[in-house]
Amino acid sequence: MSNAAPLSVTFSLTGRVITCGADEFVLDAALAAGMKIPFTCREGLCGTCKCKLVSGEVDMKHQGGIRPKEIAAGKFLPCCSRPLSDLVIEK
Amino acid sequence: MMGDIRALPARRRVGYTLEAAFYTDPEILKLDLDVIFGRHWIFVGVEPEVAEPGDCLTVDIGPHAIVVTRDDDMALNAFHNVCRHRGARLIEERHSNVGRVVCPYHQWTYGLDGALLFAGHMPKGFDKSCHGLKPVHVRSLAGLIFVCLADEPPADFAAMEQAMTPYLAPHDIAHCKVAHTEDIIEPGNWKLTMENNRECYHCSGAHPELTKSIFAEGFGFKPVGAAAEASAARFHALVDTLHGEWENIGVASREIDHLADCVTGYRTERLPLEDAGESETLDTRVACRKLLGRLSEKRLGALSFWTQPNSWHHFMSDHIVTFAVFPLTAETALLRTTWLVHQDAVEGVDYDKDNLIAVWHATNAQDSALVGKAGDGVRTTGYQPGPYSPDTEGLVEKFCVWYIDRLKAALA
Repeated sequence: MSNAAPLSVTFSLTGRVITCGADEFVLDAALAAGMKIPFTCREGLCGTCKCKLVSGEVDMKHQGGIRPKEIAAGKFLPCCSRPLSDLVIEK
Repeated sequence: MMGDIRALPARRRVGYTLEAAFYTDPEILKLDLDVIFGRHWIFVGVEPEVAEPGDCLTVDIGPHAIVVTRDDDMALNAFHNVCRHRGARLIEERHSNVGRVVCPYHQWTYGLDGALLFAGHMPKGFDKSCHGLKPVHVRSLAGLIFVCLADEPPADFAAMEQAMTPYLAPHDIAHCKVAHTEDIIEPGNWKLTMENNRECYHCSGAHPELTKSIFAEGFGFKPVGAAAEASAARFHALVDTLHGEWENIGVASREIDHLADCVTGYRTERLPLEDAGESETLDTRVACRKLLGRLSEKRLGALSFWTQPNSWHHFMSDHIVTFAVFPLTAETALLRTTWLVHQDAVEGVDYDKDNLIAVWHATNAQDSALVGKAGDGVRTTGYQPGPYSPDTEGLVEKFCVWYIDRLKAALA
């Protein structure tokens, strides 16, 4: 997986486009690119970094910081999610 | 000053309204919030308000801020709504749904069971297990949620639960939905609101909408004069007949009264209604065509359920109305009224909301004005405790007896 080509992550509100490794957490890639996304626990617990995923798929390994209802409504936690495709995030 | 206040319960004159200080003095309010609201089972809401995992219900009672949560195992929990870090209020909204309880200040993160799961930047060796949310006792009585802030809550809640479950269960509160909520700031001490609720002496003069459906005789009203006695006799014959019919179909109905002889005081009785006899509506017919639970009989009158110190409830075949009273200041209180219908009932199809709430919306406003009149009077120099009618105000007297006894027990 680590050799897989990086995927693109588009932030729909700011227009920023960054790349994110397939084995990289989306939050880490965004922070490395200098973006300011609020976060706290970085382990899928607190929900501080919760964002709307407009399109694309992620592999999220959260620890209860997001409810099934929120996931069904298109939300995700970038701190504990790796991209499975190119993503568009409402941010 | 406290010395004076501590003497007041002991000198209460039986059968009379309380001394003015009980309705006006901020020091008595503090005592009420400590002894009455801090050490007894307090009705705070209904299970449909916390129906799903992650649902939170906040309640503020004077200096007590409480959050009731539904966890992922569907258990109800309750906590003080305050962070163990810097003391920030955790949840602001009355109703919310969360994954975790996250403090908005520094994001300390708690599970719905109150355990502290995450606290950033704390030193090695910091013991999260010592910093969980402070628990509050919580119990659901067939869907009515009660909390108790005491370390050791009154044990007789279990007896009330056992006795009341057959009365409440047929209405299946847990599978209702909230159709409407109304908050009123009552212009008087919380006890004036409770006392007003405990008699129907004032009903014929004050409540044209409510008295279309209810019989005043069901609320401790005893008649005087031949015509009134004949009317009361017909009412009591009707009660006997209907109690038999209702209990035959598994709907518990007969009076239980522990308003003044239990720490967790309560009273219940299923009372007939006038005319069609179905519901507390302007036309005495059901307001919602989808009946509650598995009920198939519309004409079940109205089950009244009163609890000390702060609630009363009316359960009909088609809807439920619950009332909770919380002190705000010495001379104001919050009256929160909640109307419930079957969870599958559709507004505009199965029920018309205006029709559903018409009677109690009007009655609350009338009662609030009466509480204001009493509040205006008890703070004046001309006020002195007046006598309750033994015929029609026996349940008010029981409220006062319970209240004074609870203060005496705490002050002893």
